[in-house]
Amino acid sequence: MNRRRFLAAGAGCSACLVAELAAAQDWQAPARFARPELASDEGGLWALMDREETRLRRSPFALRDPQLHTHVQDMACRLAGEHCPDVRVHLVRTPYFNASMAPNGMLQVWTGLLLRVDNEAQLAAVLGHEIGHYLARHSVERLRDAKSRSAFGQFLGLFGIAGAVGQLGLIASMFAYGREHESEADRIGAILMRKAGYDAGEAAKIWENLLLEIKARPEGLSNSPLFARHPAPDDRMEALASLAAGMPGGVANDAAWRERTKPFLRDWLNDEIKRGQHEESLALLTRMMLRSPSMPEYAYARGEVYRLRAGDGDLDSAIADFKAAAAIGGEPAETHRGLGMIYRLRKQPAEARSGLQRYLELAPQAPDFAMMKTYLEELPQ
Amino acid sequence: MTRKLLGALFLVSLAGCAAVAKVETGDQAIGERMALRLEGAWNHVNAPGMGPAQVWTMEGLPVDQLLLYSGIKDGALIHPGGPAGGARKSFAFRSSMQPDEIVAMFEGMLTRDGSSFRLVKLEPTAFGGRGFRFEYSLVRKVDNVQHAGIGYATVSKGELFALLYFAPRIEFFPRHRGRVESIARTIQIKN
Repeated sequence: MNRRRFLAAGAGCSACLVAELAAAQDWQAPARFARPELASDEGGLWALMDREETRLRRSPFALRDPQLHTHVQDMACRLAGEHCPDVRVHLVRTPYFNASMAPNGMLQVWTGLLLRVDNEAQLAAVLGHEIGHYLARHSVERLRDAKSRSAFGQFLGLFGIAGAVGQLGLIASMFAYGREHESEADRIGAILMRKAGYDAGEAAKIWENLLLEIKARPEGLSNSPLFARHPAPDDRMEALASLAAGMPGGVANDAAWRERTKPFLRDWLNDEIKRGQHEESLALLTRMMLRSPSMPEYAYARGEVYRLRAGDGDLDSAIADFKAAAAIGGEPAETHRGLGMIYRLRKQPAEARSGLQRYLELAPQAPDFAMMKTYLEELPQ
Repeated sequence: MTRKLLGALFLVSLAGCAAVAKVETGDQAIGERMALRLEGAWNHVNAPGMGPAQVWTMEGLPVDQLLLYSGIKDGALIHPGGPAGGARKSFAFRSSMQPDEIVAMFEGMLTRDGSSFRLVKLEPTAFGGRGFRFEYSLVRKVDNVQHAGIGYATVSKGELFALLYFAPRIEFFPRHRGRVESIARTIQIKN
């Protein structure tokens, strides 16, 4: 079979699958949306989102890596089907779990989400969910509702507009619609991800993983506005798993996703550490260490979170993680700074010297080079 | 439009309950234990709920800010307290903190709204005795404006003394950096 015939056959199979799935789920994708009249409320919203998109393109928070951008854009395209030309992905360097799609087709994906997904299928589940909101035009319904309730600022927060996001939790504006809209977007998202060839069973795992982080907070689930407005997470996971059971098969693409994101991993982990949400970060990093025990980046990052939290037993845990990272090899230079600083605090000069010396050797351009050098020189012989 | 509205609300709120006082040239006491000398006047913005730092400005908020911390005790927050259980992380000083941890604490405070902080330099310096200074860049999430900043800090008798300044990287930061560095050189901390 030549390439053209193979692709044609593939497209045919895909079309059959789409029809089958859509029938099974009683859902059909709408035709592409025309730009609304500017004078209408929806037209005004599009114009506002167009301005926001222009600002986003110029933003220093935009992650401008052509390869990663193309990868995620291609995924969004496969999910969106014939709406592909209307979907524009923007990667945003912000360490929170968030994706949002505006009615004009602007799809924001934050790096906190990219860090948290285990594979392409999980990312596809979130993108598919957001595209589901877009295809079902939930934002327009929310716009009218928000205007009637004078809650326009909160409404803008749906799309991750910086000025309108007053509170940044683990989950920023993702999953911020009402209960019925969320369930419908889950359903459409599952259909889209399966149609695109992904394992729909991965969708429920995102919730499972997020719950690990949210439950790790000192206040647990009790103060999460997300769970005050939405179906109980267990119910939602069950519903997603049930949807997936009806459409078996598909791939997750774990290795491909890890390879694609590896160049950004250290930056994203540093952003996660800097969030200062120690308990959530520890839950996340523990999960990642179990998933990828041969990657020193996760062991270093968890050690650094323990070091910065500095609670009972935390410095011992930090030392153990730093040593584990060093034992794996290829560890970030900051692993040795962490060891040096803990031993300095504990007045163990030989060990402190070893750590700080190694850090200065590995990171001569580090911004804190002068500070660490002074510490090293001040250590008693 | 939303940003303009928020800005207008901010100004209205400031007009309603904030007081701006001129800080004169000469010796000034900040809290009970910190003193400094000014070579030019600043504006001190005071309003309920502004947190433990004195907030000074040359150009007006929110263009530039000089935060002065004096005698922050172990366990105290370094920013205005939010509602209990809010989604934003709180950042508190611990007397056992090392300089890089103090910088990380300020970094956390400055990025609570999703802004981006990058440490440029951290080095020891004389600041009220034995202290350290750091330089940083800050991109504000709310308006994407790129700022530059400098900070100085020391821990004396378990209390934190610090000075943080930041302003837009172009024009405003270079204009006032020298003034801030002069202030830092005059800091004295009483034992």
